[in-house]
Amino acid sequence: MDEGRTVAAEPTAMIAGQPSPEIVAGIFYGAAVTDMMAILVAERTAGTTRVTWGNQGAVKLLGYGVEDLGNLPFETLLPTLRGGELKLLLRRERGTQMNLPIRTASGATVDCAIISTPMPSGRMWTLRVVAGTNEQERALRATADAHERRFSTLTERSPIPMLLSEQGMRLAHVNDAFCSLLGRRAEQLLGTSWLDAVHPDDLDEVLESAADALEGGDGEAKARMVREDGTVRTTVLRFAHLFTPGVGAGFVGTIEDITDRLAFEERLAHQANHDPLTGLPNRTLLAQYVAERFAAGRSELACLFLDLDNFKVVNDSLGHAAGDLLLVEVATRLTRTVRPGDLVARFGGDEFVVVCEGVDEAAAVTLAQRIGEALSAPVRLGGVDVRPHASVGVTVQTGEHVEADELIRDCDIAMYQAKAGGKGRITVLDQQGRAQARDKLRLVADLRDAIERGEIALLYQPIFSAGDGAPVAVESLARWEHPERGLISPVTFVPLAEESGLISPLGLLVLDETCRQLADWDAELGMAAPMRANVNVSALQLDENLPVHVRAALHRHGLEPCRLQIEITESALMADPTFAREVLQQLRDLGVEVAIDDFGTGYSSLAYLRHLPVDCLKVDRSFVAELADGHAEIASAVIALAHNLNLCTVAEGVETVEQAEELARLGATFLQGFSLGRPMSGPEITTWFAAHRETLETPTDPELPR
Amino acid sequence: MTPLTAVPAPSFDIERVLASIDTMAAQKPVAAQIVSVANADDTSSKKLAAILATDVALAGRVMKLANSAYFGMRGRVTSLQFAVTVVGFTTVRTMATVALTDLDDESRLPEDFWDLTTTIALSASTLAPRFGERPQDALCIGLLAQLGMALLAHNDPEGHAGLRADNPAFADLRAAEVQRYGISALRLTAVALEQWGFPREMVSVLNKVEEITAPEGSLLRAAFEVAGRLTLEDYEPIPISRLTCGVLGEEALPPVLERVWVEAEELRAAMIG
Repeated sequence: MDEGRTVAAEPTAMIAGQPSPEIVAGIFYGAAVTDMMAILVAERTAGTTRVTWGNQGAVKLLGYGVEDLGNLPFETLLPTLRGGELKLLLRRERGTQMNLPIRTASGATVDCAIISTPMPSGRMWTLRVVAGTNEQERALRATADAHERRFSTLTERSPIPMLLSEQGMRLAHVNDAFCSLLGRRAEQLLGTSWLDAVHPDDLDEVLESAADALEGGDGEAKARMVREDGTVRTTVLRFAHLFTPGVGAGFVGTIEDITDRLAFEERLAHQANHDPLTGLPNRTLLAQYVAERFAAGRSELACLFLDLDNFKVVNDSLGHAAGDLLLVEVATRLTRTVRPGDLVARFGGDEFVVVCEGVDEAAAVTLAQRIGEALSAPVRLGGVDVRPHASVGVTVQTGEHVEADELIRDCDIAMYQAKAGGKGRITVLDQQGRAQARDKLRLVADLRDAIERGEIALLYQPIFSAGDGAPVAVESLARWEHPERGLISPVTFVPLAEESGLISPLGLLVLDETCRQLADWDAELGMAAPMRANVNVSALQLDENLPVHVRAALHRHGLEPCRLQIEITESALMADPTFAREVLQQLRDLGVEVAIDDFGTGYSSLAYLRHLPVDCLKVDRSFVAELADGHAEIASAVIALAHNLNLCTVAEGVETVEQAEELARLGATFLQGFSLGRPMSGPEITTWFAAHRETLETPTDPELPR
Repeated sequence: MTPLTAVPAPSFDIERVLASIDTMAAQKPVAAQIVSVANADDTSSKKLAAILATDVALAGRVMKLANSAYFGMRGRVTSLQFAVTVVGFTTVRTMATVALTDLDDESRLPEDFWDLTTTIALSASTLAPRFGERPQDALCIGLLAQLGMALLAHNDPEGHAGLRADNPAFADLRAAEVQRYGISALRLTAVALEQWGFPREMVSVLNKVEEITAPEGSLLRAAFEVAGRLTLEDYEPIPISRLTCGVLGEEALPPVLERVWVEAEELRAAMIG
């Protein structure tokens, strides 16, 4: 340790905790001459307080000369201190600070902070004077004021209702738009009074959202606001956190008046859920209505399905305007007739549904009868009195109903049953009817699946030449083997397909598969392959698409058109002979042959027959069967008719050699029957035709027909 | 001219009155700490709540005030920190000042002191937006405005009671106080708040009340007027327009009077427990 250096430092350091006289003198000199800081010394003598000294800073701030400052009375310097108040500033035992205006030599006052420190004598004080507002502070204040004015202008002139809280829920500011929204004056809304305008049921949500904003987040609440005049506006309030340093948490809120938008949306929703013609709920709303009230296992609901009888007649004869008038009138009558609380919906077209709650079957039927009576009063349309009648299907909810839409479906079924039973009837869907309908529905679904998966199999029955007994063609027969129910007859599933819109895909499946099989046989059997395949076409398939589909199927499998014969029933042709003729002609033009199936069983007009572009008549099996009883008249007549029209004939249901011989004698061209050749699968036919080629080449089988 | 009171002039020492405030601060360190830190730049609601939590009575009052009708939260304030956030730092500081100076002890105060104080505070807060002032600052200054009067009454109970009896009008009482003590109660309040570092803007309002032409004092003059009309018997109203340099007309007062009347009791309950 270097003691010399330590000792040398002592003269300028503190002695016993006190600064050295040299330091004190330095500080005093600095304080005396600086003009950065104003320092005064005050002294109280003989009951008066005077300034006894001031530094350069005080001279500069106050504008007095040093001499004038030296004897200045305190009341001159601090004019706002009255009476005994000087004691507040000049306390003996502790220093104080006060903000006071101080008067300068020019008479002007300057706001200052004055910090007084008593000296030990208790009679003198050092006063440090700090001018309250310097240039920088004034600039900052001006900037802050400008911000404030901009914000105020923005909010006041904004068309968006706004509110401002600087603390808690209390509003310190609202704009004109907010006042207009609520129809109240600002002073009626400031503080917490604005909460009085919030609908009591929505108040909690508003408070929660605002509380979220106060805690630093954002808040949003949908609330109804009650105007001064009692009207209600629906609004969305959005709160954003606002923090004022030194003050606390508040929020800025903006309000969107969504009353008109909601009303518009409501109108749209009404339009979406209501029928524009009658104003009744539509199918969508009906489904919602039933679903909302449906509870499985209870018996609360009843549905009535109404379908106007002969509505098409009104539309066709009096025009659609009259039809619309009738629908409106029916809607009005229905609405007036049902019980209060019942729903009346327009299901579509001339179909209406009534839904009732808490009624049994008897009451539902009574209501249906009352509706029938109300509807039957005449309506004058286009100068004609029309008496509307409806077929009504009634369903009352039972334990069987698992889903809400089953109710509507059941009363729809009941209505069809009513319609089928004769018009103007009321039918209640009973257990058996429901079971049948459901069974049918399931079967339709299964059939759809079977068609889609290609699970409909085709069998082929050989057709023989009556002249030499040679097999020349086959008829395609669709077979459906249900996985649970076993083999289902075409008599069952073809009408089902026709009713459920599945006949077209079924027909296309048969057509395509037949063509494919023909092509296969060609490949496997060559010349021995069946020359032609006959495909049955439903009446419902007889449209302008049929020739297109046939041509596509032939093309797909590379077959000549002459390899196909389309069989169409006599009744299908007679429904619209002119149209049928056009379609058949197109098929003929393709090169496809056309046969009339079951000829003689319907009511064919022989005159039409002459003009129909057909190649072949199929003699119905019932006429062939009569041959055994010695009655050959009809079979003979049909064959002769065909012959005269230059058509060939296929006799169906040939079961015996005698029948075959008789038909050949009568002039039938082709024969078809179970004993001649049963329906077989594609591969079986391959084998069968291959065998018959050999047989024909070496005829040894006496059983074969001639 | 205010007549001299019959009570003889006391050996009144304003320094002793001020010294008594220092004594009070020493006796209530938590309140003193809150008064000291509440308005510091780095004070957070968390920090303030932590200090406040050490004075259960004061914390309870802040919670009660936060849930009062005045702040509109209706019982939603469950944490002390959120209560501090809601009522604001200045209000917490004001409540601590009330506690510090024993203003929450009614037995040591003139009769009806708090009825008058809460109505002054609520009136000032309610009218503040009309004067471009912040409601919460106005509430605080209103709550503290009578601090000086409490000090004078505490140090000279009989003498000040006599002054109040002889001078029902606020301006007369202030003149009488100056005559008797050399300082008015309002000015004494300003000095005390200045000592504790309340914002200069708040204090200057107190200093301008007695200058009837000074716009800065208009709000508090109006608040005193509303409070006088609501709480004092035989009070002789002064036209509000004159007191407010024309900012308010008489038609503005009825809704204010009604609202203040409804809320004053709850605020009083929150402030003094």
